[in-house]
Amino acid sequence: MRTNRFVPYLFLLPAVAILALGLLVPLYNSVMLSFYDWGFGQPWSARRFLGFANFQRLVTDPTVWASVRTTFVFGFWVVTLEMLIGVGLALLLEKAVRGASFIRTIFVMPLMIAPVVVGLIWRYLLDARNGVINYYLTEIGEALPFLQSLGFKTQTWLADPTLAMVSIIVSDVWQWTPFVFMIVLAGLQGLPGDVMEAAYIDGANWWKMTWHVKLPMLRNILLIALLMRIIDVFRALEVIFIMTGGGPGSSTRVLSLALFQTAFTSQDLGYAATIALLLSVILIIFSIVLLLYSNPLKDKADF
Amino acid sequence: MLRRLATLSLVLLVGLAVGQAHPWEAYRGTTIVVNWPATYHFELAASLIPQFTAETGINVELDSVAYVNMRDRQIVEISKPARGDLDVVAWVVFTKGEYVANQWITPLAPFLVNPRLTAPDYDIDDIVPAFLLAGGKVGGTKGYLEGPGASLYGIPFSPETSILSYRTDVFEEYGLSVPTTYDELLETAQFITDNVPDVYGMTTRGSAGHQVVHAWLLHLSPYGGTVLDDDFNPVVNSPEAIAAAYALKTILENSPPGMAAAGAGEQDAAFLQGQSAMYLDRSIVAAEALDPAKSRIAGNVGYALHPVQEKCGSETGGFALGIPSNSQNQEAAWIFIQWLTTKERDLELAMMGGNPMRTSTHANPELQAMFPWYATVVEQLPCADADWRPLIPEWGAMNAPILGDEISAALTGQKSIEDALESANQRLRELLDRAGYYGW
Repeated sequence: MRTNRFVPYLFLLPAVAILALGLLVPLYNSVMLSFYDWGFGQPWSARRFLGFANFQRLVTDPTVWASVRTTFVFGFWVVTLEMLIGVGLALLLEKAVRGASFIRTIFVMPLMIAPVVVGLIWRYLLDARNGVINYYLTEIGEALPFLQSLGFKTQTWLADPTLAMVSIIVSDVWQWTPFVFMIVLAGLQGLPGDVMEAAYIDGANWWKMTWHVKLPMLRNILLIALLMRIIDVFRALEVIFIMTGGGPGSSTRVLSLALFQTAFTSQDLGYAATIALLLSVILIIFSIVLLLYSNPLKDKADF
Repeated sequence: MLRRLATLSLVLLVGLAVGQAHPWEAYRGTTIVVNWPATYHFELAASLIPQFTAETGINVELDSVAYVNMRDRQIVEISKPARGDLDVVAWVVFTKGEYVANQWITPLAPFLVNPRLTAPDYDIDDIVPAFLLAGGKVGGTKGYLEGPGASLYGIPFSPETSILSYRTDVFEEYGLSVPTTYDELLETAQFITDNVPDVYGMTTRGSAGHQVVHAWLLHLSPYGGTVLDDDFNPVVNSPEAIAAAYALKTILENSPPGMAAAGAGEQDAAFLQGQSAMYLDRSIVAAEALDPAKSRIAGNVGYALHPVQEKCGSETGGFALGIPSNSQNQEAAWIFIQWLTTKERDLELAMMGGNPMRTSTHANPELQAMFPWYATVVEQLPCADADWRPLIPEWGAMNAPILGDEISAALTGQKSIEDALESANQRLRELLDRAGYYGW
């Protein structure tokens, strides 16, 4: 039986239509908007055409570039720590030791909490006067005074530029390491047993097995985890919004927060659309570089 | 006796037959939709709504929303070109410029001059002038104050000003006198932090954005500074503005740790929990300080005027009520606003613990006996500064994103105060330039 060669495209049509509606239309609107000055809540007819003025402003706007820098600092630490800790934990908990499934469940719990709640949890934990973390720090510092110079005393976590950055990094690592952990664990458990056995018979110890056999075989999985974490870093907003609001000063104002504030606090929708395009361009560059390096969707053969 | 009764009945009957019905009768059966914030004062006001409906026959559908969502919720409705669903809206004073600029709310003069709508004893002159200006007036030379071009768009409801609240027990024990100037305030704060165990001199808001700007503005007016000069030029790099920022820095240093990340709630808690000896912000904290369930300092709180430096000046903030341009029930909406803001109702709400908006209420001896801080507020009100911040439509973009960013950076040591305010001034100028203030 022959099918018309257009039939496959017919079946693809619904998916393409939904993608176009959900992706291309907003993208088109966003690009359009970036050429206008349009206030929040005003009728579309009240817009003012600006040409490339929003883009000129973007290039010379120090607050936006400071946010880009903050995002990269935040992203570097967050992604590095999450990948290292997530992969490490997965390797340790791979074997079906007693209680492993219980521990795995516990590890995954932060993922299930809504980001706004995560923000509130950390905000209260880190509260300078009434927070649990400062309570234990000062208790330990009072019991063992020599530790006070090492920081075991009241810390103004969210009111100090450096500590605030550390705080949002810790909260993100706390919430998202389990994501890396789960993906890598699934990958480890899907590794072919015969290869492991062969390596074992060849005399590879745990370290060599991990470094020369398991991790190379997991390469594509690791890259997917890495890419998803990088994308998420650029979307991180709620937790930081609740914990610091971008402060003190602008020390934790990541690009997504700057975008949010431009759109909804300053009500400058045209310029916000321009910043959103910058965010998209940065993400596209990251994705292309990673996919050029190794496209996990292309060569399925080596998995 | 019988004769008298008969005469009286006759008079009443004739009166009913030829006399007019109450002017508000025409609106009996109308339903209005009211959108306001779910704060304490507005919840008290909500409890009076059944009484309003019983008296006027006007039904009220209440849409009470979280304070932070209020503006977004309202804009969806009041920006509709045809008819909107809201008949009465409450706004925070700094939203008025934006609402008027977009023609979303309607002037109140047509209602005020209509003898069938406004009762002769409404007495609008009794509303605290600074509150009426800050919450309701738009137009005039500056755009947000009194002047030949200004019109009234809203009636203040739950307005606020600032006074100094302090711990009488701490002040008595250490023989301190209550500060009247900023120099004394900062000195006293330092003394308490240094000498009173576990108590800091003050408390403040300080988190980046709106909160830290509010804290700085509290001191800007007494130091004689403003955000904009009379020609809309930003002047936040003036010596006065810098001095106010240094005052805030000293206050922050004499507040419990971490207040540079604190909002109004944390600021209030530090005072109510007894960690801070002085509180310089909204007078509303006084009511909470009296409540033993919320406060560890009940019975030990005294009130004084907002300290002065170059001049006296306290904040003007809070809310106002007005009518959307696209409301279909504007007269009934005005009757509701009027009813809630009469002398009787204002006093009733204040007695319940609400925030009055009338001069006569503040001066009421019964109220002052019940809530001792009103005696201080009455003295403070002439200094309440309606020009406390420029309530132009761009204020939202000036406030948190620019001033909030730079002042917070200065207070947490990322920049010097001078550099931060210089940079803020430049960014404000760019913003107002884009908005069209200097294109003439």
